[in-house]
Amino acid sequence: MIQDTRLIEIKNVCKRFGETEVLHDVNLYIRKCEFVTLLGPSGCGKTTLLRILGGFEMPTSGEVLFEGKDVTAIPPYKRRINTVFQKYALFNHLNVYDNIAFGLKLKTPEQMGCKSKKEQKEEIHRRVMRMLKLVKMEGYEKRSTNALSGGQQQRIAIARALVNEPEVLLLDEPLGALDLKLRKEMQLELKTMQQQLGITFIYVTHDQEEALTMSDTIAVMNGGRIQQIGDPKGIYDEPKNAFVADFIGESNILDGVMLEDELVKFHGTEFQCVDEGFAPDEPVDVVIRPEDIMIVGADVGMLTGTVESVIFKGVHYEMMVNTGAQRWKVHSTTMQPVGSQVGMTIVPYNIHIMRKQKEA
Amino acid sequence: MNSHRTSRFLKGTWLALVLAFLYIPIIVMIALSFNASVSRAEWTGFTLGWYAKLFQSRQIMEALKVTLEVAVVATAVSVVIGTLGAIGMHAMNAGMANVLNTLSYLPMTTPDIVTGVSLMLMFVFTRVPLGKWTMIMAHVTFDTPYVLFSVMPKLRQMNPNLYEAALDLGCHPAKALTKVILPEINPGIVSGALLAFTMSLDDFVISYFTSNTDQNLAMIVYSAARRGVEPTMYALSTLMFIVIMVLLLAVNRRSGLENMG
Repeated sequence: MIQDTRLIEIKNVCKRFGETEVLHDVNLYIRKCEFVTLLGPSGCGKTTLLRILGGFEMPTSGEVLFEGKDVTAIPPYKRRINTVFQKYALFNHLNVYDNIAFGLKLKTPEQMGCKSKKEQKEEIHRRVMRMLKLVKMEGYEKRSTNALSGGQQQRIAIARALVNEPEVLLLDEPLGALDLKLRKEMQLELKTMQQQLGITFIYVTHDQEEALTMSDTIAVMNGGRIQQIGDPKGIYDEPKNAFVADFIGESNILDGVMLEDELVKFHGTEFQCVDEGFAPDEPVDVVIRPEDIMIVGADVGMLTGTVESVIFKGVHYEMMVNTGAQRWKVHSTTMQPVGSQVGMTIVPYNIHIMRKQKEA
Repeated sequence: MNSHRTSRFLKGTWLALVLAFLYIPIIVMIALSFNASVSRAEWTGFTLGWYAKLFQSRQIMEALKVTLEVAVVATAVSVVIGTLGAIGMHAMNAGMANVLNTLSYLPMTTPDIVTGVSLMLMFVFTRVPLGKWTMIMAHVTFDTPYVLFSVMPKLRQMNPNLYEAALDLGCHPAKALTKVILPEINPGIVSGALLAFTMSLDDFVISYFTSNTDQNLAMIVYSAARRGVEPTMYALSTLMFIVIMVLLLAVNRRSGLENMG
């Protein structure tokens, strides 16, 4: 269960590499046992932020607090944090068992609550075996790491980090190199592990679906800034700006003008909506999810257009509907033939109004 | 079809000619080392006598000791310098590393005679008596680049996260070096050491200029040749050739195995 205590706080963190600013005034707190995902396109600064948490980079300014104490300058080997690296970074000169035992063997018997070296050795054995079971790699302890598949190497990398019982586990796109089916399996397994062990996970990915599946909290990043922090449903349903709307799921994004509270004009038409608090005639971004557009008869729709293409996606059909001024992406469970005239309706609740992003 | 055959024949002949040109002198020398006659002109029977004589000669045994001592110590020192140097250069920014890279290539391309004379001048200038230790120092200068350039590719191939993974799991930086980095680049270190050892074993020119008192095997062969070659020298050269060939085969085999994965 997620606890209310703030385990990690990132305060006003900026990072520059020479002239380029990679992180701009990032603020974020992470609670105990929370599964937080840093989500964004490549180059958005998510990995740099993770590396700052791991102690591999120093922020140019700002600080990182761990349980209220400033750990910004604490080296990685003194942090109660472990990392699963993107390319696994297993030690090829050691077998699977010794890879997992690596961190424990560096500890003194006292640090592991053991009275003697012998007792520590037994405890290490117990814990390594427990980890192998957790990651479903029992029987592999004597194998060379070179002989493992990508998915298996990933499991060993996870076991090697988790066996140290860290407060926080950092994961840098750990499933990026796996095929789709394996990736889906591992997503569920990771989530289960996290809940079983009660460890805080901080997860970096550019895959929005992965983020939605696994996270308690998502921080969407772009251009070195956090765009939005929230739970998966909140981020999906109420994206704060056009970038988030576009990055999370699919969207139709249109230019509009807010005429008055709860009334917006786009596509040359006035629409009822539920947003308020905008200046009169303020230009806005209008975001509509493809699944929120209902296909109706051509004569009763708020908008009418011609179906240009239909793709079968499994659960639904993805159609492109051209209304002349705009091409709409529409998801529907019923198929409309290419070339047919259709009407489209959008309920006020599904029209999302966003303030225009000021270009940095 | 016919032209294909001709071309194959020409290729084969050419290859045979090149190999003959390269190896016939050595084969002749090896054969003569088993010739009972002192004369090069006639074959009077097979003998191992020259080899026996070789091992009975105090001078040659003394030179063998010097050769091995110099090679072992120089290799050990250059392994340390070369490996640490490679790790340091790997961590540097590209510009600085490039400069050092070029500087490290120089000793490999400079003519031995230039290296030898300049080292001798330096030792004379600093009043270090020329002997075994100056020879060792000289050998370190030309051995180190071999270690450096054997280790560098290993570092470049290494997953850049390995060092960080070691730190992450609780290693201090020094421990990360010994427990993770060195085992990872070990194949490069061993290849470099074998190469350096080989270079030391057969060096003549630089040793000749940097030692007055102690002589290594190559120097013995040279001074003997000036007096008129006797077949013990063929025997000695044959043994040196075989040892060095075995060492180089070992280096090749190692890198061959690694490239196979």
